[in-house]
Amino acid sequence: MNINPVLLKELKVRMRGWRAAGIIALYLLILSMVALFIIYTTFMNPYGSTIDPQVSIGAYTGLAIIQFILIMFIVPALTAGAIAGEREKQTLDLVLCTRLRPISIITGKLFASTSQTLLLIISSLPIFSLVFLFGGISIKEIIQLFAFYIMTAVTIGCIGIFFSTCLKRTTAATVFTYGTLAFLAFGTIFIGVFYIRIVYQWDYKNFLPLLYTNPLVGFSSLLAGQFGYFGGGLDFFSIFYLGNPGSNPNTLNAIEPWVVNVIFDAVLSAVLLTLSAVKINPVRKSIFSYLKFRKKAKKV
Amino acid sequence: MMLSIRNLNKKYGRFQAVTDLNLEVSEGEIFGFVGPNGAGKTTTMKIMCGLLRSTSGEITLDGVDVISHSKRIKEKIGYMPDFFGVYDDLKVNEYLEFYASIYNIKGPARKKITDDLLELVDLGQKREAYVDSLSRGMKQRLCLARSLVHNPRLLVLDEPASGMDPRARVEMKEILKNLKGMGKTIIISSHILPELSELCTSIGIIDKGSMVISGSVSEIMQQVYSKKVIRIKVRDRLAEAELLLKEFPFVDKLVSGENTIQAGFEGDEEDMSRVLSALVTGGVPVVSFAQLDGNLEDVFMRVTKGDEE
Repeated sequence: MNINPVLLKELKVRMRGWRAAGIIALYLLILSMVALFIIYTTFMNPYGSTIDPQVSIGAYTGLAIIQFILIMFIVPALTAGAIAGEREKQTLDLVLCTRLRPISIITGKLFASTSQTLLLIISSLPIFSLVFLFGGISIKEIIQLFAFYIMTAVTIGCIGIFFSTCLKRTTAATVFTYGTLAFLAFGTIFIGVFYIRIVYQWDYKNFLPLLYTNPLVGFSSLLAGQFGYFGGGLDFFSIFYLGNPGSNPNTLNAIEPWVVNVIFDAVLSAVLLTLSAVKINPVRKSIFSYLKFRKKAKKV
Repeated sequence: MMLSIRNLNKKYGRFQAVTDLNLEVSEGEIFGFVGPNGAGKTTTMKIMCGLLRSTSGEITLDGVDVISHSKRIKEKIGYMPDFFGVYDDLKVNEYLEFYASIYNIKGPARKKITDDLLELVDLGQKREAYVDSLSRGMKQRLCLARSLVHNPRLLVLDEPASGMDPRARVEMKEILKNLKGMGKTIIISSHILPELSELCTSIGIIDKGSMVISGSVSEIMQQVYSKKVIRIKVRDRLAEAELLLKEFPFVDKLVSGENTIQAGFEGDEEDMSRVLSALVTGGVPVVSFAQLDGNLEDVFMRVTKGDEE
């Protein structure tokens, strides 16, 4: 089996030296401190010192949220410089003039960055396993959560790679990647609230489709669904009002937002990867020349 | 024909970088691509290597169209750009092994190619050093080795000796001579013109995107200078030598110095030997008799002066 040479080279370079070990150490330190803080505050509570599944759910939710936030911050930093950095270092032409296809260069870069994220996610498993001490969380839920992490990391990676391909500077690519992420995470909620306020006058019936693109909504719905607060589908506000689950009967049997979010992520990733591969190809035909060709062909 | 370029044009917006460029390079030839900065050398080379799309025109390599078969073409071309970077945290042998792996060269073959190439560019003792720690000249040689990793038939070298000190230039020239001996077809752009005239079998001078003149070095000299120049040094009897030379219709513009005569000459080699034997049989003590070598730098200045004057 031929392993992508760009992926192999990137992994070798990225894992060499103290930087990779330092990132993992810092990452695990933050997660461990969060886990210890949650467990410590629970046991300091005179009424919470007995073994209670609520402790594990609290610790699990806390760790899951912190890990999700860390992924949202780390992946853009790892991917936004993937192609723009090669351009800045003047190494891109050397790879482009080889027989390697543009899509192989893009996927090699993407998988190298996401592998590093994957390593962080997997290395956090022992910390997550702390929640098993108290019960209340199953393996299936952990697997679901980690699969969601990986899909989100790949999507953010694809956004980073796309901007890295389109923009010449790593800084610009990083800013645009964080900007897009901020729009997906907060911009869509802002538009959602505005839309519900103006169009539905608060009398909304269904989950707003735009919010399916929101990683925070997908993540919240996954956690909410895992603890059985909602009957699968949930409306916009029930995500945020955890104590008032699924009050809208129209949404009770709807598909869960995190599932749609994962499907959206997969489609978006495929589109962005294809566009990046087209963009990086130095001898690609421009859309204008393609249209000219179509016009000529029609005349003939 | 190894490389054939027909009516190549490249526009960047409104700026015409290359205009109707035609070029043919045969197998085993070393073609020197000469021109001032911004003349269109790098643009043409990048189009050849599939790193840039031409606006119009046709390039074929070994009979295969460069644009429509870019993957096949890239197996046959080795490209060394004028500016390039290196990867941090990668050792010299790992750098070459990375490029070898791209061409699906595996196992012992990969190691052998890496070792052979490092030997060729005289970097064998640096195989475990980090690429970033190499001097500029060493990096240039490593980049040349990189371009050879898949044993290409055509090498496109864009200013391979730029920024090198004199010793590194001599080393690079030696490597290129070795490659010439190995039968590689090489297209090389450079500003170090005397070195090109020594190395290249043919030369093309490009200015403002157009090929001004191309051919073998001697052909170009003949095209640029209408006459050859011969220089004769005598021990004495300078006046008699001048009189003898004036008898030949293809010798003119005699300029005499201390025991030397420089004259314009329009004949061929046979005529030249007739002049020499006439001088010797006429009793002139000839110390040396030689055709002056054309100076490529001078040719370059003449044909590329354009609108500056």
